[in-house]
Amino acid sequence: MHGPEVIQGALDMIQPHHEPWDYPTNIGFPTPPFNPYQLKPVMANRCVNLERNELSERVEQIAKQLIEDLPDQTESSIDILHSDTTSQDKFVPSILRDFSPRKAARRNYDDTIGSEVQWTNEPNQVSDYHARNINRGLSRLDEHGLSLITLLLECAVAISVDNLGEAHRMLLELTQIASPYGVSCAERVVAYFAKAMSSRVINSWLGLCSPLVNYKSIHSAFQAFNNVSPFIKFAHFTSNQAILEAFHRRDRVHIVDLDIMHGLQWPALFHILATRMEGPPHLRLTGLGTSMEILVETGKQLSSFAKRLGISFEFHPIVRKFREIDVSTVLVRRGETLAVHWLQHSLYDATGPDWKTMRLLEELSPRIITLVEQDISHVGSFLDRFVGSLHYYSTIFDSLGAKLPIDDHNRHSVEHCLLYREINNILAIGGPARSGEDKFRHWKSELARSSFLQVPMSANSMAQAQLILNMFPPAHGYSLVQGEGTLNLGWMETILYTASSWTSTASR
Amino acid sequence: MDITLFTPEESPFFQSTQQSNGQAAIDMHSNNQPQNSHTSTSRSSDSGVLPSASGKWASRLLKECAQAISEKDSSKIHQLLWMLNELASPYGDCDQKLASYFLQALFCKATESGQRCYKTLTSVAEKSHSFDSARKLILKFQEVSPWMTFGHVASNGAILEALEGETKLHIIDISNTLCTQWPTLLEALATRNDDTPHLKLTVVVTTSTVKSVMKEVGQRMEKFARLMGVPFEFNAIMGLNHLAELTKEVLGVQEDEAIVVNCIGALRRVEVEERGAVIQMFQSLRPRVVTIVEEEADLSSSRDDFVKCFEECLRFYTLYFEMLEESFVPTSNERLMLERDCSRSIVRVLACDDEKSSEEDCERRERGSQWSERLKEAFSRVGFSDDVVDDVKALLKRYKAGWALVLPQGDHDDSGIYLTWKEEPVLWASAWKP
Repeated sequence: MHGPEVIQGALDMIQPHHEPWDYPTNIGFPTPPFNPYQLKPVMANRCVNLERNELSERVEQIAKQLIEDLPDQTESSIDILHSDTTSQDKFVPSILRDFSPRKAARRNYDDTIGSEVQWTNEPNQVSDYHARNINRGLSRLDEHGLSLITLLLECAVAISVDNLGEAHRMLLELTQIASPYGVSCAERVVAYFAKAMSSRVINSWLGLCSPLVNYKSIHSAFQAFNNVSPFIKFAHFTSNQAILEAFHRRDRVHIVDLDIMHGLQWPALFHILATRMEGPPHLRLTGLGTSMEILVETGKQLSSFAKRLGISFEFHPIVRKFREIDVSTVLVRRGETLAVHWLQHSLYDATGPDWKTMRLLEELSPRIITLVEQDISHVGSFLDRFVGSLHYYSTIFDSLGAKLPIDDHNRHSVEHCLLYREINNILAIGGPARSGEDKFRHWKSELARSSFLQVPMSANSMAQAQLILNMFPPAHGYSLVQGEGTLNLGWMETILYTASSWTSTASR
Repeated sequence: MDITLFTPEESPFFQSTQQSNGQAAIDMHSNNQPQNSHTSTSRSSDSGVLPSASGKWASRLLKECAQAISEKDSSKIHQLLWMLNELASPYGDCDQKLASYFLQALFCKATESGQRCYKTLTSVAEKSHSFDSARKLILKFQEVSPWMTFGHVASNGAILEALEGETKLHIIDISNTLCTQWPTLLEALATRNDDTPHLKLTVVVTTSTVKSVMKEVGQRMEKFARLMGVPFEFNAIMGLNHLAELTKEVLGVQEDEAIVVNCIGALRRVEVEERGAVIQMFQSLRPRVVTIVEEEADLSSSRDDFVKCFEECLRFYTLYFEMLEESFVPTSNERLMLERDCSRSIVRVLACDDEKSSEEDCERRERGSQWSERLKEAFSRVGFSDDVVDDVKALLKRYKAGWALVLPQGDHDDSGIYLTWKEEPVLWASAWKP
């Protein structure tokens, strides 16, 4: 396993005086709301700009045109509410006449949350940004791909104005001609997006949108993703570094992992803790998860690994109670140094209502929170989410396509069992949480606004990230960018994951 | 499979009246069920539907849904369609695929949009069909599975034997196989001991997706015949709406020709009430032999019983999809196209009423024994000779294990030979003479 060696190498680079924890006045300057226009590229490890050719410009134009043609969101929602449903006549179910389309509720939370905008620009300009970037994620766009994308966008617009009949018709076409085994990444992306929208159309019609989650399949696809792409390891190792730094000279430590899955992240950290100069701490790990069976298994493995390393270790599994974390069951002992770790994803709703999670964090007052966010939003109008996620996932598909052959089984597994799941969730009614609850657009901003101070990611974390990238050729495709105290990893010009760390003001 | 149902507290039913800062309104049953409990959220007292740990969940859910539709149990229908929608995927494993395609048909049925959906699917398929893609598909399919070649070998064997000694041959090919059956026959004719006979091939096309490519198919056949040194004439009949409309004149049948009618997967596309007439029409052509190959399923006798028809449809396509999964590589585009072809048929059978269609696209298969009953009105059966049987067996040896040939059993008036996959009969081939 490369992990320990990587970390060892990084440790060698640590200079004793460099500790962000020692500079009380500099920590946690309030970060301005995350502004995507101001990425500061630092590392040389970035690729050249994509050439903007005619095709990509056309895609941008089409997307922009379609979005501009859309009536203003609030207007259209009013129109929909008041207009009769005859335009949707094709969808009136005869044997289910007691069931009227649930348009109103859907509109509401889609829009009210979207109105809580943290962008510094108008919504249209936000869409422009995404529109401009859609094509960047589709570097191998061709004639066929272009026509598919066009149809996909039209379809999304139809859904966004509740024209389900028209959307369904277009989706029938799309789902017959786009293949997820196609040569071009664009075609693969379209195949999955089309399916996700079909799923949404059916759910719309049913008025049901809760998810059914197959955790086994997701977890194994997650592991496959970890093997073929650096993103998960980036999250793990940069976070581990920040946690390590926060645990400096502490001998009773406690990590709370908000979604531990199989705990892939922790063995590497255990190794470092076991070999640190002051000796290993007493380590507690509280793992939150979705199934007791998996948690127990994870706990066993981690315990046995810790034992081999000679670390005094306790594991506490907490099964995520229905849609929320049960605060009372996270036991914090006096004298413990607490780290909370959260790798966010869109596979399922790991943490429930955001305000509750925030409250939990505030109550726990950890010394460090390591947060890794995806650069997509789960909230906002359908069209916003659609455009944003099309850009985002096209980029990831491109990164996989650059490395793996068309018929690679792992690639298919990652695309189908992992990425498609996320796409499906993001486009679903109510987003991944499938509920009308408030979700924060960006946790970074929320944490900053709350009682937390940002701890800038250290140079050592950056070094970790660099080492990870070296393990994943073609390294030139990935871009590692330093933000304001954050570390960002993406592909080409698109940032996909952002790692940041925070400390509670109450923890000092 | 480890599946957790997000249970009622977060119930899926939204009520249109309630919205307070975007909070979803909760439906009536708010029992606090513990997480991980595998219980259903159905409004009805006991839906008893669960995705269980073992495989074959798709079959269970689909059958329940079909049952609910026939009983018009609206809340159960919703529940099941929702589960299917969440679990299905046309790009996953067999269960997920079956769920996906059958869900589409059930959804069309529930929204009464079957006809429209079918038309859209068909026109999309027509547009995206090209000679190259069709040819590539058929060749690949024939390479990995005997599904098509079984019928070709058996029929060609019977045809050659029936046409022994004839000099003017006229084969009427009612199929959509893009003439992939004929090269081997042409070769056999070319290498016959006596003078090479003249062959006229009249192809009657019934699938709209194939029509566009017949010109090129014809050209290639002519070229091939020239190479083989077989005097050859090719005709394609495509303007036909119904097979029963065929006449000697339309087909260009001449008195001195030895006629063969070769019917591969075409009878099932005829409207059920017209099948008798079509067979009468065959009889009127006075053929030396009629070869019939059909897929072994009964989607016609149960057409008034939705659940029964559904279950048979599911049974057949489960076999077919499993066969496809084992024959192709997982990321095969060819397999995907074949699956998508099925999805159209499934919609046609389950979600379209048997209204008079302008095209011959019925898709209601019948079993060999049923076809035999019809054919016996006008013809008598010709057994396949030992040579032909040997040829078929040799063919099957070329493919992966799982395929077998089943012959008619002695006294039982069995009607033809069967291709079996994992011991289930899937194809039926037979030959008939006046």
